[in-house]
Amino acid sequence: MLFEDILIIILKAVDGERTVSSPYHLLKGKKSGQTIQDIGYYKLHPYFGILPKLEKKVYDKAVQKLFDKGFIIPDGQVVRMSEKSLAYQPTAPSVNGWKYRGNEQVFMARLSLIVQTLSHIHQNHRVFDPVVIADDVQQWVKSYLHRMDYRNEESCRNLKAEIAGSLSKAEVDDSAKKIVLQRLSGYKVGGLTWEQIAAIENKEVIDIRLQAIEALHTWMGIIETEDYPLLKVLLDGLIQKSSLTETARRTESYFKNGRSLEEIAALRGLKTSTIEDHFVELAMNDPGFDILAFMGGALYSKIIAASRSQNTKRLRDIKEIVPEASYFQIRLALATKGEIK
Amino acid sequence: MNLEKTLFDAYGFTSFRPGQKEVIEKILVGQDVIALLPTGMGKSMCYQLPAHLLEGSVLIVSPLLSLMQDQVAQLKKMGEKSVTALNSFLDPAERSNVLNNLNNYRFIFISPEMLVQPYIKSRLRDIRISLLVADEAHCISQWGFDFRPDYLRIAEILPVLGHPKVLALTATATAKVTEEIKKYLDLSDPYVYTHPMDRKNIAYDIRKFTNGNEKLEWLKSFVSANRGPGIIYAGTRKKSQELSGLLNLAGIRTAFYHGGMEHQDRIFVQQQFQNGELEWVCSTNAFGMGVHIPDISHVIHYQVPTSIEGYVQEVGRAGRDGSPALATLLYAAGDEELLDSLVLDDLPTENEIREIYRNADEGPQLVEQGIVRETSMRVITYWKNHLTEQETIYQIEQQKIEKMKQSAKIRKLIFLESCIREYLMECFDQQLQNKPANCCVKDGLNYNKFLKRRESRAVALSDTWENRLNAILPC
Repeated sequence: MLFEDILIIILKAVDGERTVSSPYHLLKGKKSGQTIQDIGYYKLHPYFGILPKLEKKVYDKAVQKLFDKGFIIPDGQVVRMSEKSLAYQPTAPSVNGWKYRGNEQVFMARLSLIVQTLSHIHQNHRVFDPVVIADDVQQWVKSYLHRMDYRNEESCRNLKAEIAGSLSKAEVDDSAKKIVLQRLSGYKVGGLTWEQIAAIENKEVIDIRLQAIEALHTWMGIIETEDYPLLKVLLDGLIQKSSLTETARRTESYFKNGRSLEEIAALRGLKTSTIEDHFVELAMNDPGFDILAFMGGALYSKIIAASRSQNTKRLRDIKEIVPEASYFQIRLALATKGEIK
Repeated sequence: MNLEKTLFDAYGFTSFRPGQKEVIEKILVGQDVIALLPTGMGKSMCYQLPAHLLEGSVLIVSPLLSLMQDQVAQLKKMGEKSVTALNSFLDPAERSNVLNNLNNYRFIFISPEMLVQPYIKSRLRDIRISLLVADEAHCISQWGFDFRPDYLRIAEILPVLGHPKVLALTATATAKVTEEIKKYLDLSDPYVYTHPMDRKNIAYDIRKFTNGNEKLEWLKSFVSANRGPGIIYAGTRKKSQELSGLLNLAGIRTAFYHGGMEHQDRIFVQQQFQNGELEWVCSTNAFGMGVHIPDISHVIHYQVPTSIEGYVQEVGRAGRDGSPALATLLYAAGDEELLDSLVLDDLPTENEIREIYRNADEGPQLVEQGIVRETSMRVITYWKNHLTEQETIYQIEQQKIEKMKQSAKIRKLIFLESCIREYLMECFDQQLQNKPANCCVKDGLNYNKFLKRRESRAVALSDTWENRLNAILPC
């Protein structure tokens, strides 16, 4: 159900303006210009990259279900929402894909290994098969454990108290918190597979996964903002400092040094269209970005007016009304959401 | 030199298991060795201990990523810190870090395809490799049940490394396969250690049914009445899921396990099985490696295995602690039809061969479009560098014939009138020395030996997240 709700929320936002596979790229976190740009246009940041391993067949099955139920209607290249789905108002899940970028998995991996280690050590079992075999996580956890003085029972109790305290503050369903705990394991307590949890809850695996992600995002938000020193360290390096992709940030620094679009493309050995994508991303995320370096104020106003009067963000529709604007200029203008005076 | 003392100092063991000492002694005097040791007999000790006595690093070529990960984990668990694995899972930063410090590692695991990459080759040339271990060496045999063409590349690296001593390890090899290992690894006069294949504490049973439904009903009542731990091998991923679903409904604590699951989930099933939270695991042949449960008392083959070698390897996971265990092979009329398709399904088709040969450099794309299967692509891409299209087709044709021979051997097993143990030994060119009292269904079986009554034990499913947290961290 959760997955279906998310699809409906995304498809509603892009109603009639994007193809049926656009939510797929968004959920997978595809770093293409189109996807990054859509996030800004349609304010879909929360859903970016929350399911990096989403399989096409799982996605297609869910979309087919929406067709079958009459929630969406095909319309040429794009899909439209039906009356039925416009009347349906699903609660938006508390996910923050743009911010966490799949890093909740790293958080969870660190936590799993820490908890498993403490569980064994404090029940007098020194040797066990680690649940996480990735070398970087193992090294990270090893040094974390030494710093927290893990053999001390007091430390174990403190961490447990932080987990219990912060998790109970997270505003998400208890069933979602339980899933997170079922994915943890310890001495004589095995973790549960996604399929096992789904069977117990009588839900689809994808919905269980999403519930876990929702719980983790909410929980990480609490840990980040409140006073949980032992858990806060687990967020090290996981929270996106800049809202830009790495590659767009590099383009930005060239631009700030006075390079032109073409020069940047040549210097970086990238296509100009790729650099254009970066500028759109910059325009979207940086209120101080001067788009008037790329077009006159009059043209800008014309594009915004066209978008508003036709109630559309489709480039082709706007181009018909403002033929003198390039697609790049239209994208830039739209990226600012008309917020420039 | 006192090997026992070294063994004790390094690992705390007071004695060797059969075969280990002979193999290690030969390695230390500088002879190449082929060691045929059954699963669970401590194969890895054969290179672990020499690593402490020889100068330089030990390079271990391992065919499967999951197997490699498990071996690394096991070595670390035994206290070895100087271990690394070079495989396609490393990200570039990790990889360059490992490569820059290569000579600091006592154990270097590597996948065969990594072995021949020019950069890695040159790094390996710069360090001292005292011993090259070809693990699962039967993979080198084109006629074996588990052929991996990449394995043939081990021979290419030997001169680069200055011909280090070679240890070829395998749990299953016929005389024919042993000859091929010699040939392809260029071992002129190796010491061959052959451990008797026979496992006296495992008894063999074969049950025949007139149809699949009867077979399923029998399985349900058998696992309801008998305690595990036990493995039920199914032929396909789908079947393993299906069986586990049905048995769960019947109130049996079971889960499925196959290579298509994410790594974390596979670990969870292993944990549950090890903890006794699960009694039975319904699995494909992916289950076994990395599972170290000494007291498995049942291995049931729900579907007919595709080779005798594979069958013996899977059965060998039972009774590692020496206590009585039962291997039960189930057969329903018509199962052999499935057998042929399972056996031949693994092989590339003529059409796949043609596609790969005629579309230069588009292998991955053909896989994505579903025209060529991934396993086929790997095999064909290898041959493409060595043979013409016609030769490859012939090559695969020959393998098909070999596979048909293997399935004929399995068919013979199912309809065997004589002793099963004797027959299995024969397949490995060995002779049965003495028969245990509880041998096989053909000689009469005393089932009471391994059939433990099932205790009813409620699964402790924590009802709330708080309770589960308390269960995991009772501190």
